[in-house]
Amino acid sequence: MPEAEAIRLAQQGNAAAFERLYHLHNRRVYSLCLRMVGNTAGAEDLTQEAFLQLFRKIATFRGESAFSTWLHRLAVNVVLMKLRKKSGTETSLDELTEPDEESGGPRRDFGAPDLRLSGSIDRVHLQRAVEQLPPGYKAVFVLHDVQGYEHNEIAEIMDCSIGNSKSQLHKARMRLRELLHEVTRDKAREDRKAASADSGGED
Amino acid sequence: MAPITCKAFLNHLPLRMEGSPSPDADAHLRDCPSCRNVVDDLNAIHSVARSWSAEEAEPPARVWTSLRLQLEQEGLIRDDHKVERELPRSRGFSGWFAGLPRPALAGAYLVLLIAVAFGLSRPTNKRANEARWLEGTQDSTLPLNAQLTAEQVSFASFNDSNPVVTASLNKNLAIVDNYIALCEKSVQEEPQNEVARDYLYEAYQQKADLLAQMTERGENNR
Repeated sequence: MPEAEAIRLAQQGNAAAFERLYHLHNRRVYSLCLRMVGNTAGAEDLTQEAFLQLFRKIATFRGESAFSTWLHRLAVNVVLMKLRKKSGTETSLDELTEPDEESGGPRRDFGAPDLRLSGSIDRVHLQRAVEQLPPGYKAVFVLHDVQGYEHNEIAEIMDCSIGNSKSQLHKARMRLRELLHEVTRDKAREDRKAASADSGGED
Repeated sequence: MAPITCKAFLNHLPLRMEGSPSPDADAHLRDCPSCRNVVDDLNAIHSVARSWSAEEAEPPARVWTSLRLQLEQEGLIRDDHKVERELPRSRGFSGWFAGLPRPALAGAYLVLLIAVAFGLSRPTNKRANEARWLEGTQDSTLPLNAQLTAEQVSFASFNDSNPVVTASLNKNLAIVDNYIALCEKSVQEEPQNEVARDYLYEAYQQKADLLAQMTERGENNR
């Protein structure tokens, strides 16, 4: 069943059409939720909630935007709402980013050549770093760098300008770099301690 | 051409990362190891992030099962209602509790599940050998498995009522049954694996919950 037909039938309450739409999009929505919350139980709950909201509102879908964009907008809102509740505050998208970056430029701790991330970064560390991002940065980073959306699509999903999407993505990447450097530094420090303990034991 | 500063380079960096190079920035990058590090790091982050997209996983079947039930409860899947009124009175395990309200029915399933959980945990306390682990697991799950199977058979009578509902219910039950079979296989292979035993318990819990909700729908539409 093609997507357009499934949408039309789902708007009439057709059960098979609901299932078709779910199976067409569940992987992307689940992946988005998983990268945003970092655990499978939370991602399952949010995926269910996103599709529930979608199916509750599907009768109002008029096709002004792509169906997947509309669905992702709902999913991102569900996730951001969850993260806002978790932090105990009601905040706007702008406030979900960090206030300490007035210039929009990176901090000047570029990292010495021996602390380059290239080659040392892995998915586990990156996931942990992503989890520490403010929700707004996290959403833009996951949508663009993980799921491959363009800035114009992200602007529609996040209800922001294209420039805002680009700016937040860059800040997110720079913040991730800082977080990953902290991990690298901690690991280097531990390695030095271990080496020092080993050499002390040998003396 | 005057060389640009690191600050100017970093100001240009967002555009560069979006694929808009500039000769000035290229020249700076050739001579500045620090800024090269930044660019290399950002490329490494982007590269690892992109590799995630290749491993998009499907959510577990229980997400759709649960979502579908919620949609039915909210009346969003409308074409099921007509058929649900035609559902015969449920038989089998739930038939034993046919007169009970929903909380009591759920409680009945819960009692059985607690019995299973107790059975599954029993060998842990006794530090028994592997054969006893397996025996303990089978002792605790076989009666419930038989009861749940009988319950499932009673729903086979819906087959002629609504092919869409029947197909969906059977599909969901088949998914849960497959899950149970996989878990049982794991437990048989590694009777002492607590994670496998937990998964088996969870699988039975899912099936009991699914059957309880189906029973409730049948009762509501009598």
